[in-house]
Amino acid sequence: MTKIDPIAPTGTVLNIQHFCTHDGPGIRTTVFLKGCSLRCKWCSNPESIHPKPELAYNPGKCIGKAQCGLCLKPPFPEGAMFVVDGTDDKIHVNWDLAAESDAETIGLCPTGALHMFGRMMTVDEVLDEVAQDGSFYRESGGGMTLSGGECLLIPDFSAALLAGAHQRGINTAIETAGNVPWRFFEKVLPHADVVLHDRKVSDPERHKKWCGVDNVRINANFEKAYATFPDTKFIARTPLIPGVNDDEEHIRAVLASIRPYPNVIDYELLPYHRYGESKYEFLGKVYELHDFQSPSPESLSRLRAIIDEAFGRGSPSAQNPA
Amino acid sequence: MSSPTKRIAINFGGGYVPGLNALITGTVMAASEIGWEVVGIRDGFDGLLFPDRYPDGGLLRLDRAMVEHLTGASGSVLGTAARSDPFHVRTVDQDGMLQEEDRSDALLESIRSHGIDALISVVGPAPLSILWKLSRKGLKTVAVPKSVENDMAATALSFGFDSALAFATETIGRVSEAAQSVHAIGIIEVPGERTGWLALQSGTAVCADAILIPEIHYDLHKVAAKLREKAKAGRAHALVVVAEGAAPLATQAAPTGLTVDPLRASLSPGSSGDAGAHVIERSGHVAERVALELQRLTNHETYPLVLGHLVRGGPPTAADRQLGLAYGAAAVRALHDSQSGVMVSFQPPDLKFIPLAETINKVRTVPANSVFVQVARALGISLGD
Repeated sequence: MTKIDPIAPTGTVLNIQHFCTHDGPGIRTTVFLKGCSLRCKWCSNPESIHPKPELAYNPGKCIGKAQCGLCLKPPFPEGAMFVVDGTDDKIHVNWDLAAESDAETIGLCPTGALHMFGRMMTVDEVLDEVAQDGSFYRESGGGMTLSGGECLLIPDFSAALLAGAHQRGINTAIETAGNVPWRFFEKVLPHADVVLHDRKVSDPERHKKWCGVDNVRINANFEKAYATFPDTKFIARTPLIPGVNDDEEHIRAVLASIRPYPNVIDYELLPYHRYGESKYEFLGKVYELHDFQSPSPESLSRLRAIIDEAFGRGSPSAQNPA
Repeated sequence: MSSPTKRIAINFGGGYVPGLNALITGTVMAASEIGWEVVGIRDGFDGLLFPDRYPDGGLLRLDRAMVEHLTGASGSVLGTAARSDPFHVRTVDQDGMLQEEDRSDALLESIRSHGIDALISVVGPAPLSILWKLSRKGLKTVAVPKSVENDMAATALSFGFDSALAFATETIGRVSEAAQSVHAIGIIEVPGERTGWLALQSGTAVCADAILIPEIHYDLHKVAAKLREKAKAGRAHALVVVAEGAAPLATQAAPTGLTVDPLRASLSPGSSGDAGAHVIERSGHVAERVALELQRLTNHETYPLVLGHLVRGGPPTAADRQLGLAYGAAAVRALHDSQSGVMVSFQPPDLKFIPLAETINKVRTVPANSVFVQVARALGISLGD
């Protein structure tokens, strides 16, 4: 098979998830890349934010100081791990002192309680794994989805992956939040069949409050992309967070932005779930949205009805909230 | 030998505790006695890292006249930052993308450029490591311990604990009265992720029926048996005080292996990992869990209540006022004696100075033979074991 690049670029891959059904058409393999240019307070993938492999700790796998205790000694950094007297002898991590631990040192943990999220992979390594599911793609109309993090942050790697997938006859999709320079879109989007993209919050100030930066460039990027790549299918998405963006104004603002473009084929609402919390514990990070709840079925149904109406569809969800 | 220090700064890192102004007063008054000037850094290190955010400047000049009446005032004129880490500062790069960068060198340069010779930093357990890292990079600093959980091991008493204890005791007492009037079981969760001092001492003070703390894994069947016994004897209400880090015995722990939900997996690549034996998901989690299980086991209505951040507000007690003044003055004395890289420690009856390297990663847990544990047991209070 022809290789797309004699010097395969590498990227930090967080995970390759097989048999996904929510990241584009059919049964798909989703490649999660590390690195994100937003800091959404509800993020359910905190391990995907930092662009490099990073330390994580799963106390459930730790066998404790008495049986092991390797990480309390060099070459682990001074003060990086410790034990609290009294309760049990499980290791605790001082994240301020442990963050710079290298992968080789972390690999000394015999149980994998200390481990690294993410690993450097070449394009061919990723594609070889993705291609294993080829028969499922053919049967279901599925393919490969690049997700993140923000896959557009490493445009050369992402473009090479997508182009390589096409060469192997695999349908491609990406998930993006769009907060990158336009030139990154230009590199990657020619190789994507479907673009699942987030329209998180409409108001720029509110977007900055909840996601870290305003959405002026993001909106401009997407509207330019709709016009520049008319043969690419776009699906807009909003992760619906009560009190943040579960209002009609936001939904109608997104609809006003996407409806002029026939290649934006749908607008989906993803009800917020508190999936990422335990991973914040693994990474020693503070989850900022402890008190947010999932949207009610009634709210979801009402907002979906607005979208259905805009797309000229019936609204079964409005009649049957359950 | 007298230190050449002339201008010092004070800041607060970590969560808020009641009555932080008392520490400012102690520092400023002691410094002014030896002719030193004090400035406050707003919101942890943010006043220096992001001076543009402060129309009146990120530093606040503090003098005796300004602070001498602040001792008993609630709040903090400087503000505090739950997470102000100069080693991981969130910035927007030239491409408009968010990232974290190490600005510790810029912070130290800013401290120098403002003519600040040394820093007194009032911190909880987590920011202590950041202070230690700055100290190793050359910052002349003295730490002062604060914690509503009293979990800093190098000192017998962290600033803020006594005030939190007073508030928790009063509030739990009110809940007890309410539980009595409606014949129900009140479940009150108080801060204490790794240690149970606040739950144990406040619960004992109000003669709770049970106190659950992280140091003693609980068996709710035993707690329920105790409550049923009291109910049979005609006592139709009960009170259970729970520290937020209290955990069940391993045999009752939540399943550790998460099942892989396909939707969850597709949304969240690390979701198939093992969550561990016990993960504190959020404040209120333990109160909810204990309330539900006790209701099931006792067939008695339960009412969970979470004190959470409420214990972090309000004015300081007399003991905390004295401790704040003493800690502030002691920190100035340490700098005057050319000490640096140390934490002020209250080891009754003395105030001592402990190297920062010996204070990090140490948690002051409740020993099994603690006098507080013995008192609780002597009073017939169930500790869940």
